[in-house]
Amino acid sequence: MRFRESKDRGETVNRIVVVGSGVSGAHAALTLLERGHDVELWDVGREEKPFPEPGATFHELKDRLADPVTYFLGADLGALVPPTSPELLRYPPAREFMTSREDGLLNFMPDGFFPQASLAKGGLSNGWGANALSFSDNDLAEWPVSFSEMETAYKAVYDRIPVAGPDRDDLTPHLQGVYPSQPPVRLSASDDQLLKTYERRKSALEKLGVKIGRARLAVVTDPSRTDACDYSGRCLWGCPRGSIYNPRLSTLKQCEAHPGFRYVDGRLVLALRSRDGRIEGIRYVNSATREVREEPCGAVFLAAGALQTGAIFLRTLRAAYPDAGPHSEGLMDKTVVRIPFVSLRCLGQAYDPRSFQFNRLIAGVIGEFAPWPSYLHAELLHLTGLIYHPLIERMPLDSRSSTKLFFAIRPAIGAATLFFPDRISSGNHQMVREHGENSEKVAFRYRDSEDKEHFIRQSVARMRSALHRLGCVTRGVVRSEPGAGIHYAGTVPMGTGPKRCDAAGRSNLFSNLYIADGAAFPSLPSKPITMSLAAHATRVARLAAL
Amino acid sequence: MTDPLFPLWHIDSEEYDAVCAYLRLTPQSRLYDRLSRYLADAPFRFPRPSGFSRYLAEPRLTRFRIGRLDPVTKLFLPGHPLRHVLNGVIALHECDPRGYRELAVTPGPHAGVAVLAEILRSGLNLAVSLPWLGWQWAGFAAGAPFRAQDDLVGRRALITGVSRGLGRDLMLRCLESGAEVIGIVRSRAAQEKLQGELPAHARATLLVADLATPGALRSALTEAKIPADSVAIAILSAAIKHDGKSVLSMDELRETFQVNLFAAAELAGWLCGPCDDSQNVAPALSVDGSDTPETMREQRLSSTTRVVLVSSMGRWHGMHFSGGYNASKAALSIWGESLDMELRQRGNRRFTVTIVEPGIFPSGMTRKTPFTRVLFASRQAVAARILSGALAGRRAIRPPRWFALLTWGICLVGRDYRYRLLARAKPRSDR
Repeated sequence: MRFRESKDRGETVNRIVVVGSGVSGAHAALTLLERGHDVELWDVGREEKPFPEPGATFHELKDRLADPVTYFLGADLGALVPPTSPELLRYPPAREFMTSREDGLLNFMPDGFFPQASLAKGGLSNGWGANALSFSDNDLAEWPVSFSEMETAYKAVYDRIPVAGPDRDDLTPHLQGVYPSQPPVRLSASDDQLLKTYERRKSALEKLGVKIGRARLAVVTDPSRTDACDYSGRCLWGCPRGSIYNPRLSTLKQCEAHPGFRYVDGRLVLALRSRDGRIEGIRYVNSATREVREEPCGAVFLAAGALQTGAIFLRTLRAAYPDAGPHSEGLMDKTVVRIPFVSLRCLGQAYDPRSFQFNRLIAGVIGEFAPWPSYLHAELLHLTGLIYHPLIERMPLDSRSSTKLFFAIRPAIGAATLFFPDRISSGNHQMVREHGENSEKVAFRYRDSEDKEHFIRQSVARMRSALHRLGCVTRGVVRSEPGAGIHYAGTVPMGTGPKRCDAAGRSNLFSNLYIADGAAFPSLPSKPITMSLAAHATRVARLAAL
Repeated sequence: MTDPLFPLWHIDSEEYDAVCAYLRLTPQSRLYDRLSRYLADAPFRFPRPSGFSRYLAEPRLTRFRIGRLDPVTKLFLPGHPLRHVLNGVIALHECDPRGYRELAVTPGPHAGVAVLAEILRSGLNLAVSLPWLGWQWAGFAAGAPFRAQDDLVGRRALITGVSRGLGRDLMLRCLESGAEVIGIVRSRAAQEKLQGELPAHARATLLVADLATPGALRSALTEAKIPADSVAIAILSAAIKHDGKSVLSMDELRETFQVNLFAAAELAGWLCGPCDDSQNVAPALSVDGSDTPETMREQRLSSTTRVVLVSSMGRWHGMHFSGGYNASKAALSIWGESLDMELRQRGNRRFTVTIVEPGIFPSGMTRKTPFTRVLFASRQAVAARILSGALAGRRAIRPPRWFALLTWGICLVGRDYRYRLLARAKPRSDR
């Protein structure tokens, strides 16, 4: 890498740069544009390949593609889950929005914490499971911001992102600030059966604190719209119709309609240069030439994702205040626990190849879990189109019988996924490490606390007994490895101190630096974070003193 | 068809057919090719089976064996190669339109009956398989005292002459046993060819050194910054034989001795000679070129070094028109024993010198005559014996044993008789 100063240094001072094109970046940029500012959005901006054979269902792809094995398992069969692996699925190799660990641009050093990153336009939201909820006052207990302060931002975000969901159900009292605008996603016969059983056994489940309802999903379902879901069951593999919200397809397009917007791709921001508590320049690497350059700026909104934003902040801090130490204030991620189950009542049901691939039902485990939020989010999924071999291998019979049995009970197979919240704890952080000239790697330290383990055990037990009462047989518990939650947060959290930002997302050290993504979250509630990322970015962009 | 690289993981197309028949699938050659490539990479992606698991993995897969191994590996041996095979076959077939249709047969309204029937079938299969497993265990336990250990996980092996023949088999065996291999090949072309054949994740570094050039081996190792004390096992397998050349042709004779004897002495000097500090402080070279702390930790220095000299049974008798090959091997064996004596006298317990004198087996050096074909031992079996013998610290290995006895018998009967016998075995070549 060569280091070269840009010639146009000092030319533009009022230049506002948003770093990152994910949900946070897109909503920060759009809000700033709506305020009348000119905005540059910097991004690496890799483009995903178009999704093949629109209209074909997941299993029909096997017939229509020339080389389905490579599409589903990868050229080197890297997505073939080995029998000893705890994973139930791997990210589709045909989709390339995730950055592999071998990527030269990725500067993470995974060691016990396995960070996922994306350099694609739209970022990690390309793989969003579409669950859309907002944080309530209870979720925000550790935040210096209340729900009422976030409410207008949430409303703006729900205007921009169409959400499918029921008008009212048992979960509504616990899901403050969710504003569905689309009819709920169609249920499968098995979902329907489960929901009916729930209605009958409600009182028993209430004692366990478990409530079930239809999922709130950022999906277009209104059939009058051209981008409405066609139930091809390919959500995870890339929705060819664009029914699932993706900033690349909507919010960034809205930004582009503003004359003051400029999308600048091919740039991976490394660090910011500061003087007297103000950011003056942005150092970035050109992703094509690998040249390191610097350009001046007036204000910066970091929305590169909590891990990259944290890394940029730490490098900036290191240059400005070498004594501040290489550690971030925090590092949070959700612990994801899956409980596979078979609902006995659904045995013998017909398999419907046309269905929404992600979860159509959600559940809340509600109770007093202090210091954790009182609502624990769970997703109830009945199996549709998926690569099945990891599930077959996990069945307790020999392979021949497992295969037969699996397809006999496929509509009855499901999984309850629990998302455990996280808090800032002193031991968990990211840090920058020097790694040769002009490059600093990012290392991680992450461990779940004993207190959290107890919470996990308790909640898993509750969810299991709830499933048993719904007529399901559960089998085992699959827990993701640290970092696989992909809901990273808290690397530059709100609060007091040099490595934090204020309640409006402005850095406590640098007056023109805004933390517009999950890095600013001072705690990580259990609920899905995407809508809150968008709302936070919107709020920060609205309050920024520019 | 070429030999499989790693027989423990590999299944041939007949075995694949048996797996498909067992799973009630139609074999497809396209999917078999993908499976083969996947399994060739298996030694570097998955933990190596050991002990009983490995014992069960060694024989060929038959329909009967698959039926017995499937339930017992599912319950007791989750990392067994058969599990990877069955899982891989199911994965590949479910991605294929025909395979998916065959797999995804739904039982219709009588799902409950079908489920019960399948559970019953599986239980019966297990009931049959458990006694079979007991029988296999008895066989394993009975043979255990005689079974050699050849676990090389995390250790470094240095092997010369890896581009073909016995050296290549030794390298593959070491790779399969979990070793990181530094392989020496003669030319850049051989290096590229071999690199192309090895799976992408193979922990092998191939260095080019023409042993016919004095000092070439040592400088290649020094250039690659390989610390001598990181080598756990060094196998000198490279050799040349100028077949048909008179023992009086000086150039060939010199080259034969240079490659077969002096290169061995050079390497041994580099390994066990007086400690040269300048090369030992150099950091270990990692295979993928990265130098993260993890790989540095992995390449801890080896506490013992096994020096293996591959000589030949031919060292016991002369041979006409071999360019002095037998003479060089005789010298190598005697020199190796002398080295051992010197090291022992110095009180050096770090090194053991194993002299291997293989009988006849297929290599580039043997001529295919009806006589030799009868005497051939499988080269892979020879490689396995050399490796396990050397790791056990044996001083001499002469596979196959009966061939050694035969050779010594011939040696005892006198030169005249020997001449007549060997002249027939190897007619004079006029090349």
